[in-house]
Amino acid sequence: MRAALLLVLLSLPVVALSQAVKESSTMAKTRVPSITAVPDYPEKARRDRIEGDVEVCFQIDRDGRPRKISVRRSSHRLLEKPSIRAVRASRYEPLPRNVEVPAIKTCRVFEFRLKPV
Amino acid sequence: MLRFIIITGLLLTTFAQADERTRTVLGPPNPDLAAGAEALLAGNPEEGVKLTLSGLGMATNREERLVGFSNLCAGYILLNQQSTALEYCDRALRIRPRHWRSLSNRALIYLQMKNYEKAEEDLRLAESISPNSDKVREVRGMLRDALEPVEPEVRVKDSDAVSIDEGRRQ
Repeated sequence: MRAALLLVLLSLPVVALSQAVKESSTMAKTRVPSITAVPDYPEKARRDRIEGDVEVCFQIDRDGRPRKISVRRSSHRLLEKPSIRAVRASRYEPLPRNVEVPAIKTCRVFEFRLKPV
Repeated sequence: MLRFIIITGLLLTTFAQADERTRTVLGPPNPDLAAGAEALLAGNPEEGVKLTLSGLGMATNREERLVGFSNLCAGYILLNQQSTALEYCDRALRIRPRHWRSLSNRALIYLQMKNYEKAEEDLRLAESISPNSDKVREVRGMLRDALEPVEPEVRVKDSDAVSIDEGRRQ
């Protein structure tokens, strides 16, 4: 009886630990945006009727800041700078101090469109 | 915006004049014309027009008259006197029918007068002469905005975050 109780008690932290890992992994994959900055449409692009998509990839640090920002694909160079600037200004919910997570990479696509008025 | 476009055009005219100056004589050949261009560039159309008119009175060749008429056209646009501006653009274009700055400025006048067909005609010719001019592109943009206005929109789409190790394995 005593041995059984001891076994149960000893196994509890293991269960708690695996639960924490599971949680942290879920959290890592679902980093929640807290501030999503939308780029300004560049005036030159609007003037010249340039539309297109820009995909920007980046890592998210544990404080929720985008790091190592890079353009993965882009329709037009004019649209790249504002897209990078928007990612840099965006934030994600920070992770709790006790959660251990792997480095996270994500991508964001900005679709620049001009609608007839 | 309008002021910026015209001033950009004037800037090019002044540079062309400066090039000519360094190649030929010491000092400006027509000080009032040069001072008029500078005043227009500085955003003082009243003074610019006054000096340019005085410079035109002393103009000794076709090139100086062309610069004078072209700058007067721009100056009167800045002063919101479209019909006088049109007159000077016409005069500049009589000297040189393919003077793209005057064509571009005249397109701008026609645009303001809502004479879109004539604006298109001048702009097409200006584009064929100087296809990379930012100033001409700006006028093209203004014409597009007048004929087919658009509303810019940016949509944001996020992909799922992946751990970097996981990403490397894929």
